[in-house]
Amino acid sequence: MQDTMKKINEAKAYIEGKIGFVPEIALILGSGLGVLADEIENKITIPYQEIPHFPVSTVEGHAGQLVCGDLEGKKVIAMQGRFHYYEGYDIGQVVFPVRVIRALGTMSLIVTNACGSVNTSFKPGDLMLIRDHINLSNPNPLIGPNLAELGVRFPDMSEAYSSEYRNIAKEVAKQNGIDLKEGVYFWYSGPSYETPAEIKMIRFLGADTVGMSTVPEVIAARHAGMKVLGISCITNMASGILDQPLSHQEVVETADRIKVTFITLIKKIVNQI
Amino acid sequence: MENKLQKINEAASYIQSKIDIKPEIGLILGSGLGDLANEIVNPVYIDYGEIPHFPVSTVEGHAGRLVIGELNGKQVVAMQGRFHYYEGYSLQEVTLPVYVMKQIGVRMLVVTNACGGINRGFKPGDLMLISDHLNMTGSNPLIGHNYPELGPRFPDMSRAYSPRLREQVLEIAKRQEIPIQQGVYAGISGPSYMTPSELIMLARVGADAIGMSTVSEVIVANHAGIEVIGISCITDMAIGEELEPLTHEQVMEVANRTKPIFIRLVKAIVNEVTL
Repeated sequence: MQDTMKKINEAKAYIEGKIGFVPEIALILGSGLGVLADEIENKITIPYQEIPHFPVSTVEGHAGQLVCGDLEGKKVIAMQGRFHYYEGYDIGQVVFPVRVIRALGTMSLIVTNACGSVNTSFKPGDLMLIRDHINLSNPNPLIGPNLAELGVRFPDMSEAYSSEYRNIAKEVAKQNGIDLKEGVYFWYSGPSYETPAEIKMIRFLGADTVGMSTVPEVIAARHAGMKVLGISCITNMASGILDQPLSHQEVVETADRIKVTFITLIKKIVNQI
Repeated sequence: MENKLQKINEAASYIQSKIDIKPEIGLILGSGLGDLANEIVNPVYIDYGEIPHFPVSTVEGHAGRLVIGELNGKQVVAMQGRFHYYEGYSLQEVTLPVYVMKQIGVRMLVVTNACGGINRGFKPGDLMLISDHLNMTGSNPLIGHNYPELGPRFPDMSRAYSPRLREQVLEIAKRQEIPIQQGVYAGISGPSYMTPSELIMLARVGADAIGMSTVSEVIVANHAGIEVIGISCITDMAIGEELEPLTHEQVMEVANRTKPIFIRLVKAIVNEVTL
């Protein structure tokens, strides 16, 4: 595991050498939401493949680069493209970038995703503040020897999503007339979409949305003491709710449709954090 | 992983070199149902061990070969013996035969299994048409690189068990006067059976039956664009509050007792279903 710390530090040193500042806020941009990085000023872009030990993103719609610079007067580092467990990465690789970003000194993380709605009172195009998450059957990214330099063996998850940040997000949404839902996100490995029977189960268990990312990153961020805000973009109703098949095309199109509202919300939150 | 397509092609080419027909229907025969393959006419037998890249089946009661020929006038390929995750195979290995079936022409897959009944309305010996599944294995056979040649990155599973074919199966069962239940199959990894508390949980989240196969094969069939029919034989009751010790022998006893009617149903389906 000294090997993992060494890799984290080598990746960190490479990024530090390129940007020359400590980012205050990190952003992980989900499917179709990468456009937010275009709003960053004084941009420094670092493709993942340049960074020592970084995995390389494979999924459509994920560019695969860090975009660092200024957003709303804050120093930020944005991941345009993330690593998903379903792509075949080891769960440690999925959270590697979060650990590198934490090593840079960044203490705040805004994580975003495109997801399906399990809650029938939500609709495609809604934005949801993540109040909490459920990891039912996927591996925990902290399995293995503990990286004590980063955090404790048994990290608390009672407030995985900072209540302070959630209040800021709700206030910002109110001030800007954005209808921001709030709910619980369920991590489903994918890559096949859920069956209707699985969606009924997920609803019964207390989740409002379902998606294939976010949870491992948030666990790793909390382990390393970062404060987390999560925003989901609801791109489709989950399997079996409507009488139609699910497609990645629908996900991309809906994300594209709500990007203006999404960008406004995230920028104002960055400003207030 | 780079050569997955090549593996599928090599396995398919080998099989094609042994047969003169193009099977349209695939049959995966679960515990105790392997005898159905004996009814196939003009059979060509291909042991899994001969086929390039095929794993070899280890579980008791699974012969481990493909039987290709005619069944009730249809050209079929039957897997006599399947691969289970609990045997230690990767899910990619477990599901490789499904892609190979697709490659040699299969458009419809009939998946069968022996399983435990969770729904209190069921009894041992009942047949159940699978309406949907819960993947409780903790994994997914499509994790890893996606080959667009095989199917989409994010396959839809909203109609995993073809509604069109389910309707036909219900009609066929009615005509044949074979009673059939319907329900949701929960697939777990096994090989340990579930605890009473786990079974109670599965009942609460909507499972009607529970078993250690099928879901991965069905996910891959959907990925590959093959229409699926799933039929379970309820061999024991798996009700958490009333659980009694269970052995594989008991499961096999009920499976054997139910075999004639199960075989009759699957044969009627093969005969009458429209592709």
